[in-house]
Amino acid sequence: MNRVTCTIDGQTVTVPEGTALIEAARALGIEIPHFCYHPHLPVAGNCRMCVVEIQGSPKLEIACNTAAREGMAVRTDTEAVRAARRANMEFLLANHPLDCPICDQSGECLLQEYWDAHARHASRLRDPKVTKGKRIDLGDDLVLDQERCIACTRCVRFSETVTRTGDLVLLGRSDHQRIGPATGARITHAYQGCLAEICPVGALTSRSFRFRKRVWWLEEVDSICPGCATGCNVRVCVQDDTVHRILARRNDAVNRSWACDEGRGLYRELAAPERPLLGRVAGRPAAREEALAAAAARLGSARRPGLVLGGQATCEALLALVRLHERALPAARLFHVPGPDPGRRAWSDGILVHADKDPDTRGVRLLATCAGGVEDGEALARALADEALDLLLVLEDDALGRLGIPAAPGVVALAFHGHRSAAAAEVLVPVAGCWEQDGTYVNAAGRVQRLHRAVRPAGEAVPAYVALHRLGALLGVDLGCSTSEAAAGALAETISGFPREVGPEGVVLPPPLDGGTP
Amino acid sequence: MNDPWAPDLAPLAREILAGALVPGAATLPLLWLVQDRRGWISDEALAWVAGSTGRSLAQVEAVVSFYSMFRRAPAGRWVIEVCRTLSCELAGAPRLLAHLEDRLGVRAGETTPDGAFTLLAVECLASCGSGPVLHVNGIPFERVTPERADALLDALREDRLPERPEADLWTWPPAS
Amino acid sequence: MDLAPRILTARFGVPGSHTLEVARACGVYADLGRVLRLEAEAIAAQVRASGLRGRGGAGFPTGAKWGFVPPPERRQGRPVHLFANADESEPGTFKDRVLLWHDPHRVIEGTLVAARALCCHRVWIYLRGEFRFLQERIDAALGEARQANLVGPDILGSGFDCEIRTFRGAGAYVCGEESGLLESVEGRRGLPRIKPPYPALVGAFGDPTVVQNVETLANLPWILEHGAQAYRAWGTEASSGTRLFSVSGPVRRPGVYELPLGTPFRELLEGCAGGLRPGRRLLAVLPGGSSTPLLTAEQALGATLDHECLEALGSFLGSGGVIVLDDSVDPVAALANLTRFYAHESCGQCTPCREGCGWMARIAARVAAGEGRQEDLVTLEDLARSLRGRTLCAFGDAAAAPVLSFLETFRPAFLARVRP
Repeated sequence: MNRVTCTIDGQTVTVPEGTALIEAARALGIEIPHFCYHPHLPVAGNCRMCVVEIQGSPKLEIACNTAAREGMAVRTDTEAVRAARRANMEFLLANHPLDCPICDQSGECLLQEYWDAHARHASRLRDPKVTKGKRIDLGDDLVLDQERCIACTRCVRFSETVTRTGDLVLLGRSDHQRIGPATGARITHAYQGCLAEICPVGALTSRSFRFRKRVWWLEEVDSICPGCATGCNVRVCVQDDTVHRILARRNDAVNRSWACDEGRGLYRELAAPERPLLGRVAGRPAAREEALAAAAARLGSARRPGLVLGGQATCEALLALVRLHERALPAARLFHVPGPDPGRRAWSDGILVHADKDPDTRGVRLLATCAGGVEDGEALARALADEALDLLLVLEDDALGRLGIPAAPGVVALAFHGHRSAAAAEVLVPVAGCWEQDGTYVNAAGRVQRLHRAVRPAGEAVPAYVALHRLGALLGVDLGCSTSEAAAGALAETISGFPREVGPEGVVLPPPLDGGTP
Repeated sequence: MNDPWAPDLAPLAREILAGALVPGAATLPLLWLVQDRRGWISDEALAWVAGSTGRSLAQVEAVVSFYSMFRRAPAGRWVIEVCRTLSCELAGAPRLLAHLEDRLGVRAGETTPDGAFTLLAVECLASCGSGPVLHVNGIPFERVTPERADALLDALREDRLPERPEADLWTWPPAS
Repeated sequence: MDLAPRILTARFGVPGSHTLEVARACGVYADLGRVLRLEAEAIAAQVRASGLRGRGGAGFPTGAKWGFVPPPERRQGRPVHLFANADESEPGTFKDRVLLWHDPHRVIEGTLVAARALCCHRVWIYLRGEFRFLQERIDAALGEARQANLVGPDILGSGFDCEIRTFRGAGAYVCGEESGLLESVEGRRGLPRIKPPYPALVGAFGDPTVVQNVETLANLPWILEHGAQAYRAWGTEASSGTRLFSVSGPVRRPGVYELPLGTPFRELLEGCAGGLRPGRRLLAVLPGGSSTPLLTAEQALGATLDHECLEALGSFLGSGGVIVLDDSVDPVAALANLTRFYAHESCGQCTPCREGCGWMARIAARVAAGEGRQEDLVTLEDLARSLRGRTLCAFGDAAAAPVLSFLETFRPAFLARVRP
């Protein structure tokens, strides 16, 4: 592609031909204020906030719909630009209710930010404001305040181009127009959280988050959604060691700027009542160390052990299990049972939702290859029916539930969920959920992505690789997985070509690792 | 399209859709078809147009709500639209509108209780040279004095749209 | 002085002029067979040479507009669409309605000439929603023309095919803006599109598209018949030919008048429209529709009706809708009326127009009602200035123009109406 060079505020930038000035400026670290522009939606050009001055152009131009051209000289901070922004903010706030104290968007509202940065005017409105609908029940997780809306149409364009439902529109015209669904309708698609998230003001808010937390108290931790094999990049919003919401994190190669509602809600699993927070041995609660000792004892004495590599486990945990097999339990048989766990539907939508509900199935395949292969669920079912195994260690997945087997003797479960395999286990070791640990998933497209711990593991849980490392120690071997750094390093050593550093956007596996498994 | 809601509209709708370059382009013609035949655009009509054009219900509703002539509620048998923009205002539109409000006993925007008349104040009807102008069910009447308005209402009450003398209504004054 | 030709109004007032029989007897379609056999470029060259400029409001040169459309060999199989714009909605403008009523066949003929020049085979005449009575008349004319092989396949044996249909909007001033019109035709809200891309490259249905005012089109048969030079013999250097002027307001004979461009305004006012009513004094003139800045009485009486003169006076020829204001007119109430119009018609798409038009209308209404303060006038003027040049389409400029020019021209009247 041809590239063009232009200057923005005196700095030179070279971008592909056709790049909008707003993105060219971003490449220089210059943020041009904007409401309606969104990198993953069609350009609307309606908010008029991103005006810039272009040498030789008589009028201000909008940076979102003006392509950088060779030799163009652009200024983003002239008096004319500042005056236009000020005036625009006055227009935007004229009919706005100015109800920040009771608005959930406060603290992450572009109207607030831009008023502060670009306007700081007092209202001159001496006439009644246009009144519209408040607190409209728009969807299961969506509340609409039409008065706060600035008609940027991000939500409308999202509904047209991403979900393709066309169920959110502008009704009416002039300053009486308002966002809404068809009369009497509600939004029912699986991306309501995206609507709340892309709304730059407090018009669309998430019911589950409303009035829960002021956003300025929240810290954001970059991580990966464990909900399916897409591996959406997310931001985990935390205060006081509690996750309060999940937001999408931009990754153009994976999820653009989106995340589905199912994934956004998964943080609730951290505090699910059925989640095991304590170990258990033979039906009695047990401290983690006691449970690990019991597990080690059973593993040490097992003659025909089976080990299940779970697709919900991190690559680090999978590596630890493979090493445990190699170094301490060479006679064990390895299995992998594809999902989903009971209670989760294997649906997909062609947008983000992948039919494989395990976030790390590709990680399982990689580690399985290292271990010389694994047997499938059918083999495991047969082995259990034939009583060919005297112990079954299940790493994270609900292997029994997936096979529809109510119980099996000698189950040792390392479990985050309170699922059937956990319930049936003779020895249960509680492990951390994905928001509670550092780690690595490989998504369906072979992209290696990193989880970052956002909260401390609840109860007695530890990351599964830590638990397995400890099991190894109890069995007299060093798995080299005592910390996430050690485990990640071990991964790169063990799997030739596996990236050590992946960065915020992840790294696609290099050949031949990228080929996947047939 | 073959919705049992509108069997009488189906043949014309088929014709409209056949003439549309893309199905969406049939939206306004279909909405007009419904409004002309039914007097207004009901929820059922919206769904019918949406189904015919491949649009969502919300999208069709958005279109209907944008254009000032589409109605989402039934109107009177005679819809009187009085232009109130500048040239007509200068020619006496406010007096005409007030007179009609008095005579009909309703305010602009309302329908008489007997369902005979809907009175609307509208923006420029492109008859600026012959104001005040009003449209009765889309037919223009120009230079409407209160006296002519009375005669017009009397005729409409008898269910009769009076003749418009073309010479009067479409004068093109030759340059002197 | 030579009597100017009646390029556009020759058949006005002729009984039955809207019928094919009378129209043909009066010369409509007489030259069409020859013109349709010309090379497209030959037609375009004549139109370029004529200096014809658009009659819808912007005054863009017609030949240049056609020049932006890719020629057939560079269209990659895409069709070109032509829309005859009869959305006539600019307050003060009613000439397209009169033209279409009296002479629909000349508009059809002009449309065919443009279609031939653009190698376009499908044309829509876009009528504003309120023009149902015109749609019926034009549909009837199209029916007759189709019968007579003047519309449809192989017109008059020329080998040129062209289908023409009418399309009716449903009440939205902004659909007169060409891209708003295209959105409407595609069955959406009539929101003007951001440019680029321009309709000449990406217009209706994603195809190259030309939108042309019906009066502009009605000039074409005459230009092709008599030649560009004959056309240029009328008008001025930058404003050739004649134009239809709609005159409204308190004059003795409001109506539509055809005059050569460059004619003194005084001649339109006094000669054609019969002047003001007895005892009245000219206050000001909106020369090209409500969106064009006011001329003071003095400016107007010294002005000629052409692009050059009116632009030099800070206004525009616009759509030729001349609204005359005499000293019986209350300018404060007049502005309140116009701001209400723009507030009602703003499509609501872009921030300054959506918020500004409504706000300006509320202030103007309050000031007209005697409830204003001086600071309201400051706000009103600021809002209009903030609108100008900052909106997605030209609507913002249109809405701002009357506010700024009324405040400037009639400041004492406004100040007298407000409290300090």
